[in-house]
Amino acid sequence: MELVILGKGGQGVLFFSKILAQIAIEEGESVKATEIKGMAKKGGVVEVQMKIGEGYSPKIKRGSADLVILLSPDLEAYGKTFGEKIFTFSKEEIEKAFKEVPLRYVNTYLMGIFLAKTGIFDINKALKILDEENQKSLLKGYAYVQSQNGDFTKRRD
Amino acid sequence: MSERIYLSGNEAIAYGLIASGVRFLTGYPGTPSSEILPTAQKLKLRYKFKGFIDWAVNEKVALEMAFSASLCKIKSAVTMKQVGLNVAMDAFVNSAYIGPKAGFVVVVADDPGPYSSQTEQDSRIAAYFAKVPVFDPSSVEEAYHFAKKALELSEEFEIPVLLRTTTALSHGKADISIDNLKIEDQFQPNFKEELKNWEKEVSKLAATPKQRYLLHKALNEKLKAISERNKIRYFYEGDILILSSGMVFSYLRELIEEYNLQQKVTLGKVDIPYPLKKENFSKFKRIITVEETAPVIELFLNTEGRRNGIVPSEGELSPEVCENILAKIGLISEKKTVIIPPLKRPSLCPGCGHRIGLFAVKKVFGKKAIYTGDIGCYTLALNFGVTDTVFCMGAGVSFATGMKKVFDLSGKERMVIGIVGDSTFLHSGIPPLIDAYHYRVPILLIILDNETVGMTGNQKTPAHTKSYEGEPLNSVKIENIVKGIGIEFVKVVDSYEYKKTLAVLKGAKSYLLENKKPAVVILKHPCIYTKEGLEKNPKKPVKIVEEKCTGCKYCIVEFECPALIWDKDKEKVLIDKTLCINCGCCIYVCPKKAIIEVKDGACNTW
Repeated sequence: MELVILGKGGQGVLFFSKILAQIAIEEGESVKATEIKGMAKKGGVVEVQMKIGEGYSPKIKRGSADLVILLSPDLEAYGKTFGEKIFTFSKEEIEKAFKEVPLRYVNTYLMGIFLAKTGIFDINKALKILDEENQKSLLKGYAYVQSQNGDFTKRRD
Repeated sequence: MSERIYLSGNEAIAYGLIASGVRFLTGYPGTPSSEILPTAQKLKLRYKFKGFIDWAVNEKVALEMAFSASLCKIKSAVTMKQVGLNVAMDAFVNSAYIGPKAGFVVVVADDPGPYSSQTEQDSRIAAYFAKVPVFDPSSVEEAYHFAKKALELSEEFEIPVLLRTTTALSHGKADISIDNLKIEDQFQPNFKEELKNWEKEVSKLAATPKQRYLLHKALNEKLKAISERNKIRYFYEGDILILSSGMVFSYLRELIEEYNLQQKVTLGKVDIPYPLKKENFSKFKRIITVEETAPVIELFLNTEGRRNGIVPSEGELSPEVCENILAKIGLISEKKTVIIPPLKRPSLCPGCGHRIGLFAVKKVFGKKAIYTGDIGCYTLALNFGVTDTVFCMGAGVSFATGMKKVFDLSGKERMVIGIVGDSTFLHSGIPPLIDAYHYRVPILLIILDNETVGMTGNQKTPAHTKSYEGEPLNSVKIENIVKGIGIEFVKVVDSYEYKKTLAVLKGAKSYLLENKKPAVVILKHPCIYTKEGLEKNPKKPVKIVEEKCTGCKYCIVEFECPALIWDKDKEKVLIDKTLCINCGCCIYVCPKKAIIEVKDGACNTW
């Protein structure tokens, strides 16, 4: 599986990708990823490309990503150069995350939403690698999607 | 015993070096090499072995210190980015002639692209120039193993070995299998044992030109022996041979499998691009080298590649570019070029002391003045017109000196202001300031002192008073260095004290015009990107008085804080509270006084 995670400095792209990598490793898959740093922290774009269970290099060829995860919706045009299938959080979901959990747990809340909607990883594997507060936040996000009857087939992609 | 861990290429290199016994590691930060040394420091804290692992003032000093440690039979290594190797080149070339007495590895990170460098130079060429063998790993796992192999080769032949990495590898991550480090038993006694019987060897360590000739001859023999055992590894079984090294090899391997070219192509993997021996390739129809970023294997083995336009001569050989190369060879059909939309340019962080400081400089000296910038975060001041030249480390000072001298010779008065960061000043800004003083060149040098190497991830500078292990260190005071040179006008001011900064800069301006001698202003403010810097930063929440904002965009264009954003609907400026750190600096910027401090915390956000 080839994933691209995109966002801006401070949005938690690196955190998000680290958790995804850990879940994949927990599932016994090999993980290769890129991590574009440097100027990124100065308000630029943070971009992680990740190959799970395949490949020799961490780089993803434009157009071949299975899923592009956008933490910043305005990166859609750029994200589409990697692959057609885009995952983004809705405005309501982001607002809900900020309302439901303290700022530092917003990312795990969103991770819960992501896992519930895509089903690409087992939520229990994710819970295993998180501390208690993050677990709570992840479950809240996960439950929010279930309460909305949201499922993978209905999201825009 | 081994374990699987998720590491970056840089982390893997640090693990490899420490696991093979490197106990003296130094370097100078530079993207994409910066994470190697801090990883080794973490390992030292974890395993508590004896050794020295810390930053040097520049790459030349770093290489010399590490090499001298190897002469004392302590396994050593040095890390830097590719342009850093230029700084260290004299020492690097020399180290090959003298040869280390224990393993000595020079880790250099190249930046094809370039992503964050001045040049796309290929350190494998530098290795050839210096007559130093070079390893070019193709994956994170290989980065770990080649770090170990490089040290072994160095140890065996008493020759420096270059370990070359690139941005894609250094910042690439993978879960890899590494040996458990057993540091205490294996390496702890080394220092005492090795240094007990250390003896002088003047004919080598202080060789005369005549002895140098003999050393050169011995070096050539070592290289010949290494080339003899340097074997190319072959994958697949086609009659077109593609040779490669580094990360590019991995992209090619993926593409060959993706397009099922296993019967058409043989992929030759070169682990050590220099020194190579001639190979018999008669069974292949064509031989093409695809390598980053210069022809090295191609020239040595006389193959196709850049010489006949198959491989581009500039830019990173990304998977897409490699795909095009396969198309050019005729193995696959032409691919459509993907047009990549431009991304937002990077800016100084919201609340950065450099921004308000350089805004004040612009206010006093105007846009007519020439601003010779340097390498660091503050290069980004070119976004708001306070940097006109960026060249190489320390050139902000020498460019100011040279340009001012020329303007003086022309008889035309033009203010020239050098801008340099604290770490860059210590790295290579001091010598040109000595010339500016000596030749009475009336430049103003702004030293932006945030007491950290900000751009590369907040590494320690010589101003720090404690090491990463908590050991006391002597703090180097920049103003003392400047005064020590003899410069009379030396002022230090916190750039957050805007009005005071303006007064100091105005004073410097009059001094320059009256005395015709250089002046130095040190603008101090801790980096807010560090945890301590942000915590201690003054808090002054601001808001925009909507009725007063005329939408002139002066603050956005001239101050360029990412937290000041344009509201298209209202045609006014807004504050992005997710980015704003409440520094309050923009209060001084708005010509209409529309940005004001708020006491109650209420403000317009988005």
